[in-house]
Amino acid sequence: MRFWGVRLASIAGGIGLAVLIHWIALSQLSAFGVRLVVLAGLYVTLAVSLNLINGITGQFSIGHAAFYQVGAYAAGLFTVKVFSSQPLTFMLWVPVAMIVGAVVASAAGLLVGLPSLRLRGDYLAIVTLGFGEIIRILSQNLKVVGAASGMAIEPKMLSQSPMVWLCWLLAIGSIALCRNLLQTAHGLSFLAVREDEIASSAMGINVTRTKVAAFVLGSALAGAAGGFYAHYEGFLIPTQFGMEVSFIILTMVVLGGSGSITGSVIAAVALSALPELLRNIKTIPLATVIGLTIGVIAAVSLGRRWSEQLHGPVRDRVLKLSGLTGLCLGGGYLLGLGLRALPALSEATTDGNRIRMVIFAGTLVLLMLVRPQGVLGHREFGLGKWLREPAR
Amino acid sequence: MKPLLSMKGATIRFGGLVAVKEVTFDIRPGDLFGLIGPNGAGKTTCFNLITGMYQVSSGEILFGEDCINGARKLPPNKICELGIARTFQNIRLFGALSALENVVIGGFLRSRSSLFSALTLMPPAIKDTRALEAKAMEYLKVMDLEEDAHTRARDLPYGKQRRLEIARAMATNPKLILLDEPAAGMNPQESEQLSRTVRRIRDDYGKTVLLIEHDMRFVMNLCERIVVLDHGEEIAFGGPDDIRNNPKVIEAYLGEPV
Repeated sequence: MRFWGVRLASIAGGIGLAVLIHWIALSQLSAFGVRLVVLAGLYVTLAVSLNLINGITGQFSIGHAAFYQVGAYAAGLFTVKVFSSQPLTFMLWVPVAMIVGAVVASAAGLLVGLPSLRLRGDYLAIVTLGFGEIIRILSQNLKVVGAASGMAIEPKMLSQSPMVWLCWLLAIGSIALCRNLLQTAHGLSFLAVREDEIASSAMGINVTRTKVAAFVLGSALAGAAGGFYAHYEGFLIPTQFGMEVSFIILTMVVLGGSGSITGSVIAAVALSALPELLRNIKTIPLATVIGLTIGVIAAVSLGRRWSEQLHGPVRDRVLKLSGLTGLCLGGGYLLGLGLRALPALSEATTDGNRIRMVIFAGTLVLLMLVRPQGVLGHREFGLGKWLREPAR
Repeated sequence: MKPLLSMKGATIRFGGLVAVKEVTFDIRPGDLFGLIGPNGAGKTTCFNLITGMYQVSSGEILFGEDCINGARKLPPNKICELGIARTFQNIRLFGALSALENVVIGGFLRSRSSLFSALTLMPPAIKDTRALEAKAMEYLKVMDLEEDAHTRARDLPYGKQRRLEIARAMATNPKLILLDEPAAGMNPQESEQLSRTVRRIRDDYGKTVLLIEHDMRFVMNLCERIVVLDHGEEIAFGGPDDIRNNPKVIEAYLGEPV
């Protein structure tokens, strides 16, 4: 009885959180803000599902956008062909279409999973990369999905009232599935395959089945996200699912810390918001940019050298390194002010929008230099123990 | 008595090299069986044949009545399910996982709960996991590792890693356990203690043990029957005293007593 009480409470909590996000987004944010919240939800689903394949089961897949695309196209095509001849309303129809997307994408996952089982590491990565390209080129040439000119998903369903709650429910559901899995011995068998395939099979684990399960499950979640995207966007075109989408999802997983669910979530939210938040930077003097860049480089190179000699509790080390970073950045800013005295730089300014992607890329490089194991490493972020350190 | 494991002319060729040539011996239930020989003699290859990592080129291997490698070639996980577990010469633990988790994974193959119940965290999956954890804790106690239950396997000292591998193999609940150089890198006290533990695995838990070892004192004190391999061929078989005094073994492996 207590079990079902806790279970119902957590389901209610999940739904409540999704509704809360929905309500905040629609009542507080601009249309553009709502769009960001939706995209963040989709990227959380994508990153968490890739983390299941990549971080938890250790199968290096770099074609995740392909499953996203398969789900989007399948759900979109299903709507175009079937919606007008059935009685469901928009609100009930979108989840149905998402399930269709998930099923078709998981079939694609099975298709990639089965032949690639003998492959590991780089070799598997190449196969998934190839699969991504096959899907992209197919979608560019298939007349039934509109080929290169794209496919309109009629009628428009989510453009008037975006169901933000649905997209976040999917994200929260994905997180819950992965978290549940890791609480059980079943989840340990996935981690075992990541750690050592030979030892896993010698311990009686069906490595084949485990890998296929990870691929099918991960691609189903991505497919459901695609199904939502198709109806949210109302228009699908192959360039929306290029290789850069696969890479940004992979970046989220690695940046958050491979294998860490919460890491993937944090990185997905941060990386989908960062390029947009950087749009707010207006015009800044070129000298400041140069000064700050030098400051950052100084902070990283000094910090990396210094941190090897630092000992003592984590908090002290973090404090000292933050102090160093602050000093370097402050110094960089002052240097920028000084540089403005130079006649060549006194008037030169740069548009924030122009350097936004440079800052974004630079941030990724910096983070990987400073924390190659990802923001959370293999750990999970928990409210109870703040940063809990179970061995993962 | 019917043999538990029979090697019947098991042979494997890698290109032109015959790594194991027509090896034939029987292991009876309850044996403490040793497999020795110089480096490169084919001992670990024998283990890989028995556990299905390699497939025989000719001959066959029977486990009880079942053919596991030969006419029928079972994959390693099926062989483990039938009841053969092993450790590795170059330790292969799940490094990032805790000692306890390593042993839980060993017991996982006997778990009957579905993936679906794990994903939805239903009672069968929870109950299974708790039971496996309790069982794993017992095996850790047997190997004297209960204090390290929550230490990452990678962070354990070498001797403990070796013992953890045995605990993990025990957790699969095998009939036959294969130990590949369990005493390698251990000091005399540790290997003495290990020798007692291995005997306990046989006496208290009724497992049959097949082991590879270079530490001759360890093998001669522990094993009741020994097979000697050299260049993939069987050159001697018998009790410790027969082996010690066998001129062929002395020439190929043991060397002249000083």
